[in-house]
Amino acid sequence: MNRPDDKKLMERCVKGDRRAFEALLVRYQKPVYNAAYRMLNNSEDARDVTQTVFLKVYENLDQYDPSHRFFSWIYRIAMNESINWLKKSSRQEALEHETADQGDGPEQLAGDAQLGEGMEAALMMIKSEYRAVIILKHVLGCSYIEISEALDIPEKKVKSRLFTGRQLLQERLTQQGLH
Amino acid sequence: MAIDPNIVELINADIDGEISPADKDTLAAMMAESPEARAMHAELSGLSSTLDELPDLDAPPYLIHTIMAQIPKPESQDRRGDFLRGLFAAPALRYAAMFAAGSVLTLSLVNSDQVSERAFSDVTGLVGTISSEVPVGPGIQTMQIDRTDVAGHITLRSSGPLLIVDFDLVSNGPIDIVASYSDQSVWFNGFAQLESPGASISAESGRISMKIDGKRRYALYLHNPGDRNVSINLRFMSDGEVVYDTDVQYAQPGQPG
Repeated sequence: MNRPDDKKLMERCVKGDRRAFEALLVRYQKPVYNAAYRMLNNSEDARDVTQTVFLKVYENLDQYDPSHRFFSWIYRIAMNESINWLKKSSRQEALEHETADQGDGPEQLAGDAQLGEGMEAALMMIKSEYRAVIILKHVLGCSYIEISEALDIPEKKVKSRLFTGRQLLQERLTQQGLH
Repeated sequence: MAIDPNIVELINADIDGEISPADKDTLAAMMAESPEARAMHAELSGLSSTLDELPDLDAPPYLIHTIMAQIPKPESQDRRGDFLRGLFAAPALRYAAMFAAGSVLTLSLVNSDQVSERAFSDVTGLVGTISSEVPVGPGIQTMQIDRTDVAGHITLRSSGPLLIVDFDLVSNGPIDIVASYSDQSVWFNGFAQLESPGASISAESGRISMKIDGKRRYALYLHNPGDRNVSINLRFMSDGEVVYDTDVQYAQPGQPG
């Protein structure tokens, strides 16, 4: 690979090289946007969160620990910002309330023939802590250890959250008659 | 029958591609004995595949530029490649201040019937905002720019003898734009700015230079009294280097461009 690695780009960023920051932005705008979108299920919110994430990265360049992978750091910021966004917008509360309502699945999604759409809806019905590990695993392709780094939780907890999260998704899909 | 938690962990590890060869063998042996484990493996595999296949979305257009426009620039960068700065110092060209002062004229003032019939040798022409009431024709040509340095749309429209080049751009640093045309019967007729002020402009016969930095929406007006076919070259420069070069074409209705 000819392109500079993240660590080198970060070193240049810290020295004030805007081009290096732009290179990181080019590299990570898509995964960060996708992660935010899957956490929030709203493109405008995801765009705003993505902007906030990169601005936070820039503002906190001096706090980056080079012993960690850059993507773990930025994904952690992305997840935290998405969760904060949900809290601020009170959407999380509404979603969790919705999750507790066992009767809403099949009716709400009646007519949604596609499993993918059902999955998108189901993802929004589980708690953000489970959604975050599932997104890191399945949307961003992170390994257990990478998820552990990104969320700052033990690997064992990553596994248990993945397992529980999938179980909950399975239940939601079953309720919707999609699985 | 409940599945042994160890098998459940191995099934999940297998699906996630995080199982060691030894554990994979163990899992295979356990699954051979347990229809429940096989069913669970199949179910989780299907679920994982569905998750993996969720569409990969493209980031919104211009996101990079929007973010870069908010990143503070080092002091030295502001001083570089500023070839227009000297020109703006000239009193006749110092009308960027007019924007800052909030000069708001509607585009109707830019109607060619109300302006001098002489060609402007400088930019003492009209300044205003782009007004939605202006009866401009549909876009003759719209082009999208999506470069690292600058992104957005440029639309060429016509309104009677006026040609209007509408710029809706975001740059992540100072960009000099030079619009040039060779037809001497066409002359600069004004400049209007919408949304954030800050674009600067200078004009001389057949050549108009603008400078943008960040998000800008503005329009150039050219008087084309003979309704002639016009080609306008647009050159975008960053630090003196051409980063994008394109042409917009006006063709008299019914004629090829």
